[in-house]
Amino acid sequence: MKTRAALPLLGLLLAAAFLASLAFGELRLGPMQVLDALVGRGDSLSRTIVWDFRLPRTLVGLAAGAALAASGVVMQAFFRNPLADPGLLGVSSGGALGAVAVLALGPSLGLAAASIWTLPVASVAGAFVATGAVILLAERGAGTERLLLSGVALNALLGAGTSFLLTISAGHFEVNAQILFWLMGGLENRSWEHVWMGVPIILLGCLLLLPMGRALNLLSLGEQSAQSLGVDVRRLRRRLIVLATVLTALATAIGGIIGFVGLVVPHALRLVFGPDHRRLLPYSMLGGAAFLLACDLVTRLFPIGLRLGVVTAVVGGPFFLWLLRRAR
Amino acid sequence: MTPALQATALTVPGRLAKVSLALGPAELVAVVGPNGAGKSTLMQALAGLLPASGDILWNGQSLPRIPAQERGRRLAWMGQEALFEFGFPVREVVAQGRFAWGDDPAGVAEALAAMDLVDLGDRPVTRLSGGERHRVILARALATQAPLQLWDEPVAQLDVRHALEVYRLARQLVERGNTVLVSLHDIRAAYRFDRVLVLDRGRLVGDGPPHAVLTADLIRTVFRVEATFTTSLVPELPAGPG
Repeated sequence: MKTRAALPLLGLLLAAAFLASLAFGELRLGPMQVLDALVGRGDSLSRTIVWDFRLPRTLVGLAAGAALAASGVVMQAFFRNPLADPGLLGVSSGGALGAVAVLALGPSLGLAAASIWTLPVASVAGAFVATGAVILLAERGAGTERLLLSGVALNALLGAGTSFLLTISAGHFEVNAQILFWLMGGLENRSWEHVWMGVPIILLGCLLLLPMGRALNLLSLGEQSAQSLGVDVRRLRRRLIVLATVLTALATAIGGIIGFVGLVVPHALRLVFGPDHRRLLPYSMLGGAAFLLACDLVTRLFPIGLRLGVVTAVVGGPFFLWLLRRAR
Repeated sequence: MTPALQATALTVPGRLAKVSLALGPAELVAVVGPNGAGKSTLMQALAGLLPASGDILWNGQSLPRIPAQERGRRLAWMGQEALFEFGFPVREVVAQGRFAWGDDPAGVAEALAAMDLVDLGDRPVTRLSGGERHRVILARALATQAPLQLWDEPVAQLDVRHALEVYRLARQLVERGNTVLVSLHDIRAAYRFDRVLVLDRGRLVGDGPPHAVLTADLIRTVFRVEATFTTSLVPELPAGPG
């Protein structure tokens, strides 16, 4: 497909998903009502719905989707393996464990209301521990099996930690419900607090990643050859892993564990537009944001208790199996 | 005259022991040795791709003082591995050789032509044969137009015609003042070079013109085979434009 059409196309998709995300819900708003409310006109009910409820949710979904897809692109190039994904490798689980630890242990430690930053910081810390473990367990350029098996082991280990925290807080219904929220991912009840918690830094992270596409191209074809061609590989790798981990952790902090976005979105876009990371990075950010908003819409349009993480998994699981069958 | 590439007591624990050598500008040099003798390690260390102790000078300048981008302009390294996980088109992979030059496309077309890749330019590198992939990474090394060229077993997977073209290309580069260091798995090919380095278990045990260095004694000690020097089939490129 013509790559020139990609940016406008993906931009249009995202704009449509953005507007739909503001329009649909228990009370359906027309497109003009949404636009009016956005600029502060129209009736006060739709203004309240749009500004206080749907816009924070939409912005959180947009940022989380962009962050997860971008970090998927980075991890695939970093590990030189097109099947790498922050969820499969356990980085999201690490972020969730950090967040769950704060939720479960916070009340007894007096942390809960300390600051809106406690949760994202704990999530970032948890994600870094997981990333460190993946790097140790599966060297770069490691085969698919080794990488995925490390992810399986790490996910099991971190999941055990989360289950343990879930069990010991079983007496506190509210805490338990919150923890379950993290585990299944979701954008319900997102407030402006969540927006401030994650969106600005995610935006900054995405902007910092964009100019790295050229070097990512070289790195994705081999570390030593990239170094020999003039890339400062050590510095590049350090930056990449920090950015990918922070992006995953913040997405997890504001939306819970949302799997498969980092795998499905870059893959689909690579199939259509080719592997050049200079394009794949911005395309994946736009595409990831649109994909997550669309999945969130599904949970709202079919209010049968579908969670966001469930929808992305229902789309992503079969796609992943198809990729595995297709690989080599 | 300042050597183009100089190493003193170059050591990589367990793989390379105190190797010292100096390559002049416009020298065509081969490295031979049995499997595991340290040929690849030597090349990677000289290219600054492996942590190694000892001193390395490029054109008299200490390697640690040369920034990453500058290194990409001065030395090209072609590794033995040519595995690609992502399906970039051949042309784009070769053009990566221009990274250190801000992607200025000079020399990319020539490199593609030299490695007989013009017709494969748009093919994803994941859909090439092993030999074709090696030609791609060699073309990428050529595209850097770096005066120091280090090629690690460039012909191991090539058919006879392309292998001969690689030797001819190396010779042409040297005639233009470049330094070319090539590791070989086939000692017979070393006779096409001006100078041959012999590695055995991480040590440099021979260094000089091939006829002087590759004696029956040395071949027996290093490669543990008996050598008979006879005339046998020697393929050459046809004279004139082939």
